[in-house]
Amino acid sequence: MELSPETPPTVEPEIETSHVEEFVEQLSCVTNSLPSRINIDAQSVEQGLAKLVLTLIEFIRRLLEKQAVRRMEGGDLSPEQIEELGLALMKLEAKLQELKEQFGLADEDLNLDLGPVGRLI
Amino acid sequence: MKLYVYCLVEKIDALLAPVSGVSGAPVDLIRLDDFSFLVTQLEGDSAPPVTRDNVLAHDAVVRSVLNETTPLPFRFGTVQTESHLRSYIRTHRTALEAKLAVVRGCVEMSVKIISNLDESDLETTSERTEEGPGGRFLNEKRREILGGERRAKEAREVAAWLKEQVGSFVRQEAISLCPTEKLIVAAAHLVVREQVTKYRGGLAIARNARPELHFLVSGPWPPYTFSNIELEFKTRFGVS
Amino acid sequence: MDEQLKQVDIFEQSDISLLETLDHVLNRGLVIAGEITISVADIDLIFLGLNVLLSSVETANEVLRKRE
Repeated sequence: MELSPETPPTVEPEIETSHVEEFVEQLSCVTNSLPSRINIDAQSVEQGLAKLVLTLIEFIRRLLEKQAVRRMEGGDLSPEQIEELGLALMKLEAKLQELKEQFGLADEDLNLDLGPVGRLI
Repeated sequence: MKLYVYCLVEKIDALLAPVSGVSGAPVDLIRLDDFSFLVTQLEGDSAPPVTRDNVLAHDAVVRSVLNETTPLPFRFGTVQTESHLRSYIRTHRTALEAKLAVVRGCVEMSVKIISNLDESDLETTSERTEEGPGGRFLNEKRREILGGERRAKEAREVAAWLKEQVGSFVRQEAISLCPTEKLIVAAAHLVVREQVTKYRGGLAIARNARPELHFLVSGPWPPYTFSNIELEFKTRFGVS
Repeated sequence: MDEQLKQVDIFEQSDISLLETLDHVLNRGLVIAGEITISVADIDLIFLGLNVLLSSVETANEVLRKRE
């Protein structure tokens, strides 16, 4: 087998960075959320569906927050309205947190990968 | 009997040297129709567990042919019967051949970029004394959201800049923006082997030009990011 | 028990090279549709995350469609 002279001498991956710990931290976030095994039994299917539903609710919740902030910035909300809106969104966030805990799901568990479009959240 | 499948290869008649695979088991080269696969014959039905050794073994096996040809790596944990594998080839022949053509002669390089954007300069609206918990909540969200938008904007800008720097050496790119808060760009580049040195050179210049960004460069890899042909399986980094 | 320990081990590693390898090998690569079956038999699934379940549902539909 001939190797072209410009082929890299080895095909071991080189990893090169001046900021190892920073990248370890960030990459761990990405890989830690992956369970090593999914057993499809009744409980897991339920959990899988819970994940799907909660992910969608979480997505909408974040949209609502963004919209609320925009309205607030836009100046067309009275102080009372801002307060009420904020309280309602606070409760929604707390409720969702409660549901996540009920199903044993962490923040990282809630996401949907949409391929080229990116992740939902 | 099930096969653990590592990768699809072309132009290989035999393994140059024996290589050991998942769970320390031997690796065989099998030919199905006119495609070749690196596989391990499994005892039983289960896929091997996700362990450090197995993950490294999977990559090592795919890598073992990288000097001679560019394989299409399978995702870790691909277990099939031979007949399923055969029908898979039959139904996806065209797409597989197209993918092989795309990655032929290339390797994958990976660039990840961290930006430590300081959010403390985001102004907060003046606090009114009568502001209650609801108002405070929204103000905090406002800070977060504006910060997020700023990060997204920076990510897009950095991704475009990166493309300018190394684009001429890259056959195909797959970019993910803001996979985490600090990791604003995660790019996979398909680079022709002979251009890897120039690609690295381009990157080195780029890194010096922007010391405020932190880079992680890894490679060469087999083209994991550019192999998949199924739209319904989405990777975390937005590649179909 | 040993296998479980190794699985815990993988997430405690601060080895950057391992993390990069994991990122490539677990998240990407060719995937064969129809491989994942929603079945209650003792079949271990190594594919990960919510999108796996979604994909499983899609795959099952695709398989059914092809049979028709």
